[in-house]
Amino acid sequence: MALLTVQDLTMHYRTKLGGVHAVDGVSFAMAEGEAIGLVGESGCGKTSVAMALLRLLPDNAQILGGEILFEGRDLVKLSEHEMRKVRWRSISMVFQAAMNSLNPVYRVGQQIIEAIQQHLSVSEREARSRVAEHYNLVGLDPKLMDRYPHEYSGGMKQRAVIAMALACSPKLIIADEPTTALDVIVQDRILRRINEVRAEFNMAMMYISHDIAVIAEVAERIGVMYAGWIVEMADTVSVFKHPAHPYTIALMSAFPSIKGDKRVLAQLPGEPPNLLAPPSGCRFHPRCPHATAECVDEAPRLEEIDKGHFVSCWHPQRRSQ
Amino acid sequence: MLRFVGGRLVQIAITFFLFLTVVFFLFQAMPGDYTKQFIMNPRIPPAAREALKVRLGLTDSVWGQYVNYVRNVFTGNLGLSFEHYPREVWDVIKERLPRTAILFLVASVMAFVWGFPLGRYIAWKRGQTLDYTITVAGVLFYTIFTPLLALMLLFVFANQLGWFRTGGFLTPRLWLTPPSSPQSIFIWLAATLAGLGTWAVLARFATRRIGHPRPRRLAQRGLVVVGVGLAGLGWWASGLGPFAWDIVWHMFLPVLAVTLIAFGGDMLLMRDSMLEVIREDYITTAKAKGLPDKVVRDRHAARTALLPLVTSFTLSIGFVVSGGIVTETMFSWKGMGLTYLNALLIQDYPMAMGCLIFTGILVLVAHLVADLLYAVLDPRIVY
Repeated sequence: MALLTVQDLTMHYRTKLGGVHAVDGVSFAMAEGEAIGLVGESGCGKTSVAMALLRLLPDNAQILGGEILFEGRDLVKLSEHEMRKVRWRSISMVFQAAMNSLNPVYRVGQQIIEAIQQHLSVSEREARSRVAEHYNLVGLDPKLMDRYPHEYSGGMKQRAVIAMALACSPKLIIADEPTTALDVIVQDRILRRINEVRAEFNMAMMYISHDIAVIAEVAERIGVMYAGWIVEMADTVSVFKHPAHPYTIALMSAFPSIKGDKRVLAQLPGEPPNLLAPPSGCRFHPRCPHATAECVDEAPRLEEIDKGHFVSCWHPQRRSQ
Repeated sequence: MLRFVGGRLVQIAITFFLFLTVVFFLFQAMPGDYTKQFIMNPRIPPAAREALKVRLGLTDSVWGQYVNYVRNVFTGNLGLSFEHYPREVWDVIKERLPRTAILFLVASVMAFVWGFPLGRYIAWKRGQTLDYTITVAGVLFYTIFTPLLALMLLFVFANQLGWFRTGGFLTPRLWLTPPSSPQSIFIWLAATLAGLGTWAVLARFATRRIGHPRPRRLAQRGLVVVGVGLAGLGWWASGLGPFAWDIVWHMFLPVLAVTLIAFGGDMLLMRDSMLEVIREDYITTAKAKGLPDKVVRDRHAARTALLPLVTSFTLSIGFVVSGGIVTETMFSWKGMGLTYLNALLIQDYPMAMGCLIFTGILVLVAHLVADLLYAVLDPRIVY
């Protein structure tokens, strides 16, 4: 049974210039303990999807349609009070800017204990030992829990934030650019650690990144987002070996590989569309080398072209790299 | 920490000396002197004025006066006031400083007590009509021309409604045969206020362990009411109640004026500071942790947003003497501000210098206290 099913999620931001179509008809499902990744350029709606799952959208955001079924309950319809119990207890998050996601005036351990005591009825001492456990898990010295955030290095903060996300043993952890601010070596170590912990505790994990290489390392399935749509979704190997959507292909050829022949990195012409007035039909058509009249007139639907390989395109490409 | 405080104290001493020097020469640069106010008086001939100048030491060389003065100040002697001759400057200040201090302390604390939660509240409800309404009111109080506000208060509450007196420190008719000097009663009043403040803080501390917010608040308020009741009973039993009440009654309007102005500033600063903090990522984190709205607001946002407010509050204490000039003049409240203004107008140098010395000391000490408080409140700052 699926842990999370997002069905046709549509979300707008109200602005003075009109509605911004940030997330449009996004659908995907996650099984328990599964690791998926969402990739796409900045502004394509990855973070908006994540924030919608926790219902932490800014005041001007509006979920216009669709449902988010989590363990059979529709999170869109939950009251704020019920939603508070879901946050962190069932779905927690590692934020984009881990550097700033700790309050500077409280001790790091205290901030984790606060989350634990909000959701589990444990004593201060039990909460502390729980924090110590999770510190060990992410490779931090438990003695550090009585220090303030500014006394941590960037990598330590990131680990602490991950320990915080694990603290209530949630079913799903959303990691929004969990390692972007870190240098590559620390990045790799932390990603591996998260993945080990995830497998050990059978937590589902949703990675969000603009860097498909980072996602490929840890996600079992990848969803590629473009301008508020999921344009392609498949298991990681398929996305890399047989990308079908022209955007995914462009994304693949835009990053260098150390294997194979030397090649010129392809550049995608044009810019991401203005979501105040998205292009008609397929949102990718102005930049797509294969666009036809059909693409301009009508929006394609996400269709299964292979087992578990979904593409939203009128002309899915069938070539291997 | 000790090193820091030590270093700052040395700095303070040097700054104070420079301040003293500048102020002294500024006064000397003013045309005329204390005797000029007798020029139009036919009963004081030029010869008498010259004699007075000599007696007051105004004929000495400027350097001689300066060296003399500085030596005296650093040995704790502020000299004699020309106007209140032969009273010592220190004697006058001893009487006036508490009046100003109490006026501004009470007003500052009240402004803080109202401005802090209200600023916090409207920042949380940002963008709503209530936020705009209160913000506009706050800007109005903060920017209003102080004498205008004072005049309006006087017109409405003293002139039209007749609830309060138009000014002064006490009602002379009542004090024809006082059981005790007004000054000592005022000091006792100040002590009572300080005691009640301490009592309120202690009550908060003592009830901290009560788990549920409602009984805790009830216990807190109960204790405060008991404290106020006991104080009132004490004054009534002493038979000095009516006299103390007379002073409080006269204090009401000036306190209200200063409170309104300071309240506007505190509230706007808190709102601004909150709006900045609310955008921080750790507020999103706190919400994502499933913490109740109030906990996110009070424990995470307001705690950090409080820092600039504390600084502003502490520093404002340093400026009560200068800030008091307008208010004290409008309400004829004989505190440091009014004393300074009078001394300046008739060129009573020792008195004016004495007032400025206290302003200087207060400002310098307030800065030091603000620095130290900051280190206590913000773990990122370590000396």
